Amino acid sequence: MTLMAAPYPPALTEDPTPQVEPRSSPRKRHHWIVRVTHWVNFIAIVIMVGSGLRIFNAYPAFARKGEVFCCYPFEHKPIPSWLTFGYWLGGARHWHFAMMWVLVVNGLVYLTFIYLHGEWRDLVPRKGDIRDSWQMVKFYAFRRKDHPHQGKHNALQKGAYFALPIAAALAVLTGIAIWKPVQLSWLTALFGGYVWARYWHFIAMLLIVILSVIHVFMVFAVDPYSITSMITGNYDPGLSPEARNARPFYHIFPPRRPPAPPAPPLQSPPPAETA
Amino acid sequence: MSDDPREFFTINGIDRRDFLIRGSGIISAALLAACNSRGPKAADRLLEYAERKNRGVEAALFRHRSMDVVQAGAHEAGNKLPSYFISPTVPVWDESARGKWALEVNGLVGNPVRLTLDDLHRLPQVSNRVNHYCVEGWTAVETWTGVPFAELARFVRADPSARFVDFQSFDDDYHESWDIESAMHRQTVVAYGLDGTLLEPAHGAPARVYSPVKLGYKNTKYLTKIVFMPQMNGGYWSDQGYEWYGGV
Repeated sequence: MTLMAAPYPPALTEDPTPQVEPRSSPRKRHHWIVRVTHWVNFIAIVIMVGSGLRIFNAYPAFARKGEVFCCYPFEHKPIPSWLTFGYWLGGARHWHFAMMWVLVVNGLVYLTFIYLHGEWRDLVPRKGDIRDSWQMVKFYAFRRKDHPHQGKHNALQKGAYFALPIAAALAVLTGIAIWKPVQLSWLTALFGGYVWARYWHFIAMLLIVILSVIHVFMVFAVDPYSITSMITGNYDPGLSPEARNARPFYHIFPPRRPPAPPAPPLQSPPPAETA
Repeated sequence: MSDDPREFFTINGIDRRDFLIRGSGIISAALLAACNSRGPKAADRLLEYAERKNRGVEAALFRHRSMDVVQAGAHEAGNKLPSYFISPTVPVWDESARGKWALEVNGLVGNPVRLTLDDLHRLPQVSNRVNHYCVEGWTAVETWTGVPFAELARFVRADPSARFVDFQSFDDDYHESWDIESAMHRQTVVAYGLDGTLLEPAHGAPARVYSPVKLGYKNTKYLTKIVFMPQMNGGYWSDQGYEWYGGV
């Protein structure tokens, strides 16, 4: 069965001539597996980032003892504790090493599902995506009037959703590399040794955070209707950013229905003709 | 369709603007509540379960042939190697009060012994230039000289039923117990030398256990006793909530 494209029956209306264009009918946009893995992923990423930053604060630097590290401008400056989770190093480690399984299993379920079910087609980059991304940038910068035509996602969105699993895979692999630098030393060596693997783990986390923050911002700023769609699965294409020509914070809401025109005054019946 | 023009924009009486404001409020409140918290108490049992399972994963990943290799060009930490102990001051063995220091090795062994520092020096000796992996995230390269633990186990004729080893110290009640496999790893030594000199009190004199296959806190300093055991015996930091296995 195709869960992607089954339109709901058109809404029944008693008024055969509505005064505004009826909204197009909502469609199933996200399979329940996508929705469940999305929200599990949200929780897992928040906890992994928070507990990871708490672990990092036990030694907020990358340098090996007796050396200096080239490439981190904030060596020995802890992350503000309000951004961390787990309260203390041991507690944060327990959260990190428990939640890592949730993150990995959930990620594998998601990737397997989109591979088998075909959703990967909406996410893999294609020829022309770079040009389309540039058009999106121009549109957001008011250098282009109309929203570029898009499929399920716009080109910028596609890039972000494609990059996120890659950043997550990098985070998982570098994480394993610094968890087991002796037992899995080949993996640690692949990332340039423990110090660099720890650095790439941090960078992967930063990438995930940046992509997620932009994602959440854009959801609220251009496509708030997608929140409902990630919960119920239903999405009204008539409210898509393309249909609304929505830029961040512009035209988030469709135009209000215009007030009903005043009823025509009652006319007195024409006088009867007199012969 | 009702006549209320707002109906077009509302779901259950909440219009989208309300939804956005309430939604972002709820999410921010939840995130703020989580800030630097321990997390829900109900999660403790799940976390303990995960730690027990991870212990099995770590033991399954363990290979005697996996060796710690110091990266080319890495500098030795030297005096930058942090020093720590749980006593209020650096623990120093007081010979006048406690007699000559000796390391007791007993438990499930055929030949329990008391080894003086001279005895340790006479046992086979290795020097390993290896990384120190601290639970905090830093590493330090040092050269540790001492008796390979496996040689010591052979010397005391450790029983195969000894699946765990407890390393005890005179630094208050500090001790940490290990799985026997990690203890028998070739890079695990009962160390009395650091960077070519005898161990100093700051780093665990007269002798300490040292292995790159365990996190720093598992490597008991100021050794007094090594006990071969049939079951694990927790440890100073393990009992306070750090992972008992603490493998690297």
